[in-house]
Amino acid sequence: MDADRDYLAAAGDAFVWLSENAWQIHTATEVAQALAAVETAKIQLAVLDVKPAGIGIAELIRRLRQPQLKIVVMAGTVTEEMRAASLAAGADLVLEKPVSPEGLKAVFQNFCELLGWAVPSPNLETLRNVGITDLIQMECQAGNSSVLEIFREHSLGRIYIEQGQIIHAVCGELAGETAFQKLLGIAGGTFELRDFELPPERTLNRTWEYLLAEVGRQRELSDLRGHTGGMVSGDAVSTEPAGSAAELLICAGTGEALYQWQCADAAARLKLLQNIAHRAEALILEIQLGKLDRLEIQLPDGRAVLQPRADRLIFARITAPVAK
Amino acid sequence: MKKDFKTWFASLPAVPGVIASGVRQPNGKWGGFSDEKNFPVEKIESLLKQFADLHEPLAAAELPARWTTWVFEYGQLRFVPRPDQWLLLLVVSPETEAAQSLDRLSEIFLAFPVK
Repeated sequence: MDADRDYLAAAGDAFVWLSENAWQIHTATEVAQALAAVETAKIQLAVLDVKPAGIGIAELIRRLRQPQLKIVVMAGTVTEEMRAASLAAGADLVLEKPVSPEGLKAVFQNFCELLGWAVPSPNLETLRNVGITDLIQMECQAGNSSVLEIFREHSLGRIYIEQGQIIHAVCGELAGETAFQKLLGIAGGTFELRDFELPPERTLNRTWEYLLAEVGRQRELSDLRGHTGGMVSGDAVSTEPAGSAAELLICAGTGEALYQWQCADAAARLKLLQNIAHRAEALILEIQLGKLDRLEIQLPDGRAVLQPRADRLIFARITAPVAK
Repeated sequence: MKKDFKTWFASLPAVPGVIASGVRQPNGKWGGFSDEKNFPVEKIESLLKQFADLHEPLAAAELPARWTTWVFEYGQLRFVPRPDQWLLLLVVSPETEAAQSLDRLSEIFLAFPVK
């Protein structure tokens, strides 16, 4: 909210661009508009000018305050008195208005951190997927009830969350877990959080942690299948059809296991990944063929793929399809 | 294996996209070829030495490799170990005939008679 329409338009456009269209911006030039927006839309972050017309900033913050709403106050120059008054009234952050593109990016990063959202990478698909999954996670962790509607030109489907549990998903004629997976795998879509309404049926009864982990697992498998079977672009390391996933381990760069599936000895797999990462470091220096993408191991009954990236260590084993 | 193998091994550089090739015998002797300044034959020897022992920890981890492929941005390294301790190394450029032929060449190497 800001009385300066030009500033509002420019800042709104910039944040939409920085979020790769994942953010939906509502603007207000008057207090009444701001209050109405927070009442009617599921606003998660309110950014306020320090001097709203006709009302003190502390009073505006108090009127806007809601459990799930983060409030940031911005001013051309932030004084200690201004900061103290805003924080005392319930603001989460007080910042100076950015005056350069770099400043705008820094402010955007502050907003992402405040919301607990990942700062978008240049990868559009990743950004959008991260945005949706993070939003679902936030809604569930907060025990909220809402409906997440996913669009790409037209509405593609809905995910119903009731008191922090995902109870129904629908995508065209699909429903339940299949629909949920499909909706979260859509690239190039946008989404909108709506007030909760009862779904026509309940098709999901697993925990939200399981459902989101499954989305991550399917995504990793999909990526790895591209490397372990089917049409690998150009390099033709693999020419057979994709088989069935037999084992999967995903660890953080630090070695902490983030997800494991049918992994009998995760510690041994991690040790192997670290061994490969160590060898890869030496190889990269020695042979100068660029970064290592993956190590593929051809097995008697399938393939294993190891990806020792700096931020992720991934082990996947896929069995070859049974000949008919 | 020797005569047929030598002929076959000598033909590898003719496959478009092969940057280098090397082979390590069970007694530790090795031979190699390289067509690139950035990939001298000494490098092949070094790689063969470094990776001769790679397949043991893989087998111990219940991953008995028929072959392994290190996929880099600008090339691939294929190691093919035989049960009789011969080890083949192929270095190829991506998106080339050699890259397309890696599996076939590996199978040929594995199929050479032992003696």
